[in-house]
Parts: sequence; C-alpha cells; structure tokens
Amino acid sequence: MIRLSAIVLFVFGIAITGCSDSNRKTTTPDAPKTNDVVKSKGTIGFSALTLTNPFFKVIADNMKAEAEKHGYDLIVVSAERDVKTQADQVNEFIVKGVAAIVLNPCDSQSIGPAIQKANKAGIPVFTNDLKYDGNEGKVVCHVATENYQGGKLAGEAMVKLLKGTGGKVAIIHFPQAESCQLRVKGFTEIVNAHNTFSNGDKIEIVSTLDGGGARDEGFKAAKDAIEANPDLAAIFAINDPSGLGARSALESVAKQDQVTIIAFDGQLIGKQAIRDGKILCDPIQFPDRIGRSTVQQILKHFNGDEVPAEILIPSELYYKADADKDPELKQ
Amino acid sequence: MIFVLLVLAGLFSILTLKQQHPTGEAAGRQVADFILSRYGRQARVLIVTRNTGEDIAFANVVAIRLKDAGAKVLDNVNGAAPDARRAIDSILASGGEIDAIAANDVTSKWPVYDRYPNVGSGKCVVPSSYLWPDFLKVSNLLGVANQTAIYAMIAIGMTMVIITGGIDLSVGSLVALASVGTAIMIRDGGGGANAGLVTVVGAAVAGIGICALAGAFNGFMITAFQIPPFIVTLSMMMMASGLSYRLSSGRSIPELPTSFFWLGRGETVGIPNPILLMIVLYIIAHVVMSRTVFGRYVYAIGGNSEAARLSGVPVNRILMSVYTICGALAGLGGIVLTSQLSAGDPKFGLMYELEVIAAVVVGGTSLMGGRGKIFGTLIGAFIIAIIKNGMNLKDVDPFNQKIVLGAVLMLAVLFDTLKRRNSRV
Repeated sequence: MIRLSAIVLFVFGIAITGCSDSNRKTTTPDAPKTNDVVKSKGTIGFSALTLTNPFFKVIADNMKAEAEKHGYDLIVVSAERDVKTQADQVNEFIVKGVAAIVLNPCDSQSIGPAIQKANKAGIPVFTNDLKYDGNEGKVVCHVATENYQGGKLAGEAMVKLLKGTGGKVAIIHFPQAESCQLRVKGFTEIVNAHNTFSNGDKIEIVSTLDGGGARDEGFKAAKDAIEANPDLAAIFAINDPSGLGARSALESVAKQDQVTIIAFDGQLIGKQAIRDGKILCDPIQFPDRIGRSTVQQILKHFNGDEVPAEILIPSELYYKADADKDPELKQ
Repeated sequence: MIFVLLVLAGLFSILTLKQQHPTGEAAGRQVADFILSRYGRQARVLIVTRNTGEDIAFANVVAIRLKDAGAKVLDNVNGAAPDARRAIDSILASGGEIDAIAANDVTSKWPVYDRYPNVGSGKCVVPSSYLWPDFLKVSNLLGVANQTAIYAMIAIGMTMVIITGGIDLSVGSLVALASVGTAIMIRDGGGGANAGLVTVVGAAVAGIGICALAGAFNGFMITAFQIPPFIVTLSMMMMASGLSYRLSSGRSIPELPTSFFWLGRGETVGIPNPILLMIVLYIIAHVVMSRTVFGRYVYAIGGNSEAARLSGVPVNRILMSVYTICGALAGLGGIVLTSQLSAGDPKFGLMYELEVIAAVVVGGTSLMGGRGKIFGTLIGAFIIAIIKNGMNLKDVDPFNQKIVLGAVLMLAVLFDTLKRRNSRV
C-alpha cells in the first residue's frame, strides 16, 4: 500500500514540476543593486472571472503580452465565478509576494475582505471589466468599457435605422449587471432625444424584458416581445448571446426580415452574425485594449505617477462593412 | 493516509523553495548598518517602504539607527510608488541629495527612482534574502487551513451520511441558503449593519436551524418512503438553491454588522477562528463516532442495514439524525463563509457537495458504507487543499489543476477498491 502511494506521489511530483514554469528568477541583492542585473521586475497576479468565456481569455492574453514587454511576469488563475475561490487565490498571491493583483471581482461586494487583505499586505489591487462596489478595500484603478457611451452608440444606430419611419422597439435587458444598466441608459437617452424633435417618426420603446444575457433566455424574451407587439420594428439586445437568441426567436416566427437587431459586445459569434446579416451592428468592446491598459496603469503606478480611479475604453460601432474587412473572421 | 499528507507537504516544501525577502526589525538593522559602513556617518538616506505593519517596523528601525549614528534621514515614506515620487520631488526641489535609499525587495523594484538621473534604483539598499519554501510560510499554512476549514466542517456530516451508505448532494445549496437566510434576517429584522449581538447570534442559529430542518426533511423522505438518498438530496439541492436565489433576488446582501465577522475573520491566540471551530468539531465528532452508541449504530447501519434493524438498532431515527446533522453542519459552513466574505450570497456553495464528497472519499471512507474514520476525512480534506495550494504556488495552469485533482480522486477510489479486495481474501 505504502509502496504504491509512494510511486504515485513520485510520478505526481514529476508531473507538477513539468507543468509549472521553471524559470525561477532569483536575484540576491545584498548590496546596492546595479541597474543591469534586473531580470524580472516582479510578478503580477490576475484572477479572472472565468477563462471559459473568450472575452476574459483575450484580456488575460493581452495582459500577459504587455507585462512581458515591460519585464514583468503574469500569473493567470481562474476563479470560475466563485468568490471563495477568488478570495483563496488572492491569499496565495499574497503568500507568493506578487507586486500587484488584478481581479475581475466575482461579486461586487463579497470580494471586499480579500482586497482589504491585499491592501494590508501592501499590494496594490486593480480591477478590470467588473467593478468592486464595496468600501472595505481600496482599488487603485478600474479599467472597463465605457458602457454608457456604447449604449449611446447603439441608440444612434437605432435612430439612423428608424429615421423617417419611426417604429416600435423592444429592449432585451440584463438588469442585474450594472454594465447593462448603463448600456440601456445611454440607448434610451438617445432615443428619447430623437423623439423630442421628431416629426412623426417617433421611436417607441414598447417593452423592456430580462433576457438573462444568455441565448436561451433571450430567445424567450424576444418571443414574448414579438407576441405582444406583432408590428415590432427593431430589438436592442444588451449582448451578443441574447441578441442571437432574439434572432432565433424571430426566425421561428418568420419575422427576421421585419425586425432588425442591434446587439452589444463584438464577441466572435456576434461579429460572425453581423457579417451574415443576422445582427445589424454592435457597439463593440475591446478586451485586448482593456488588458493592455490595465497593465499600463500598473506600470504607471510603480513608476510613481498618479493613476485615475477609473479608465473607460470607448466602444465603437461595428457594421457588416467592418466585418468584411475584419482579419479575425478570415481565419 | 497521514503518510500521504506528510509526503505531499514535503514535496511542496522542496518544490516551492524560493529566495525570501525579509522585512521587519532585524532586516532594518542590517540595512542601516550596511548604509553606515558604506556611506559613513554623513549619509543622506531616503527610506521607502509600503504601508504595512512589518514594513513600518523596518522603516522605523532604519530611521532610529541612522539618526543615532548621526546620519541624515531625508524622508520616511510608507506607501506606494507615487508617495515615493512626491518625497523625492520635494527633496530634490529643496536642493537635497540622496546617497542611499533604504528599501525592501518590493519597493526597490519600483522604476520610480530611474525617473531622476541622479537618483536611480542603483542607490537602493535591500536586506539580504534567504532560502525558504513559500509553502512552509506560516501565513500560507494558516491560509490553507483557513480555506479548508469550511469544507472540512461540512465533511463531518457527509462522512456520517456516507458511512450509513447514503449521500447528501444538498450541502452546497444549504450553504447558500444559510448564508442568504441569515443575512436577510439580519438586514430586515435586526437593522442590517447596526444589528446587535443578540440579533446576530439569533439569526445565525436560525440559519443553521433552517438547514437542519432541510436535512431532517431529507432524512424523513429517505426513511419514510424508501426513496434513494441520491434523488431526495438532489431535489433538495435544487429547491434550496432556487429558494436562496428567490429570497435574495439573485443579489448579494452586504448589510451585516462587524460583530458578525468575528467568526470567519477573527483570530484567537493568533489562529483564525474557523480553524479552531473546525478542530473542536472534529474532536467532538471523533468522540461521538468512536465512543458512543450513536456512533456504533451509524457504522452498523452502513455495514448492513437489515441486520442492524433486526438487532434492534433504531435505523430510521439514526438516519434522520445523521441527515439532520449533515444539514446543520452545511448551514454552519454557510454562516462561516458569509462571515468570512462579509456578505450573504446565493452564489456561495456552488459545487461544494463534490468538494466535500471528494474529501471524504480521499480520506478513506467507503462509498459503500460501513467503513470510514472522522479524522481520515480531515486528512482527506487537507490532502486536496494542499495539492491545490501547492499547484497554485507553482503556477500550474488552472486547466491542468482540474486534471490532476480528478486523477487524485480516481486514485483514492482505486485504493479503496484494492484495500477492500485484499481484506476480503
């Protein structure tokens, strides 16, 4: 029995050593350091919300590239949406003595004690995409998409679409997420502004339904919306999955040519749908820029510069013409 | 089993061996002496550390020692890089010069010093490093124990259930239910963040009570109608999860008083309270399972339920109690977790049932029932925790970690099967 377990452990040990990156950087600075011996300037720990969603994978990959460009290492771990896992990961970052911690908080409140613990250990904490809303710990800087401005872009695209004709519009919402609230707020403001000066081409928001930000829920919500308003002209969905769910709903009642969809995000599936004419356009997010910008803020902070508490990356509208030129879709 | 745990600990101690960079008083003395011997008593020194307890101790020792020797301390910065920049700016603006910067490993790596041509990070003096495994740092060991405490507590109830030959899949959802239930009672009934101690304790006990009731309901359905435990507790898992999402409308509830955080975040004699609670519970459970009639009955039911019944064991009553205990301990786990993370949240406890069952099985309890030890479960929980912790410390890719953990579980069951076969021969 013991012999068997010893063998297993031995193999396991070899596996672990093989899996992990073995380039331990050890500098032994006794005396004043000379500038040219600096190999790694430090390690940044990143606990992502999840790595199964490509959005966060892109953020992580770009953070890694940017960090390595400036001589820092990046460790990426995935919290799989579980706050306790994330809190444990922060604890391990502290034990490892990382120079900075980046989080996508799994919960806008309960991650507070972990951030506070990092603060106490003197490690600066940054967040991206998802924001920490509590007041227990201090986040140096938060980097995210400018959702409010993105919502306005969607509103402008809607006004452009329905100018002269007007029509009924449904919103497929995900009210739990603050980011989606901002998107809808921007969208509604532009539409209302248009209505104030409209002459007979009023855009009427007839229903706002919860689509859960997911394809199946979006499908149901869109189906209800079209049932209640058979003369619907357009749908604004707060992300690509729920937009595509809405598209399926329209196809199931053969109304895809009557109702135009504007979604949000610019995920690969969304871009493909735009190319194929299933979605008119998306205000798109730039996870690559979010990732790079986060690392740049960390470097600025280490460099002694003041860092703004929040950096918002503007969104841009993405139509079929953009999709046809997009190298990402040509692979 | 304990042998495996020790070997793992040894393995990770070797694997995580790393240069450690000290800070604190001893390091401060070392750095101050080095500066004095190198730059003499006329040295003009800037001290840069972070704003942590140990770092400030380091900075103060450096400052006092240098001043006593007659050297000049230009400024003592305890903060982040921007604070260091401001300090250097003001020193240079008033015509000062810097001979050396007393720093530690982290602050010396800030690129801020290289902004100034006549400062530069070459002027940093840092304490010499020493070799020690990350794994064996006290903060890490306490961290691992603290992380495991909740799983381990719930695993006590699960061990009992599994020894009777059953299973309880509802524990993860009960963690969420206790968390949300207690937080809502405190928020709506006791004034949220201003709630008094009595309310807090009452709400926590009520939260555990709800989960005990849910556990009792499980036991009732299993004993009264002979429905397999797998199905009963699977249903309870869905109902409890749905209920906690419904009660909280899917949001977390942070309106809790600080007195509530004592259980999960407080310390007694330097050891985090969840660890102490876990130890106490394990001692009680061990005594109950090995020294009492109740414990004997639990094993007897798992060994052969029919034989136990014929020998006069009150099978139904014992099963009811076992499921009730399991539910109550899951509720307790939920309270500790809520206290640790300072909010009630329906998302808590996700997949905990599997974590806990894994701990029990790795700890040598047979899924067929009748065999297993309480302390085996504790060791099982720690084996899993140490493997996870060690892999995290060694930066193993998160996807590979899952593969390794799955393999460990598979091996544990394999051992169990082999042992069973050997003992039969």
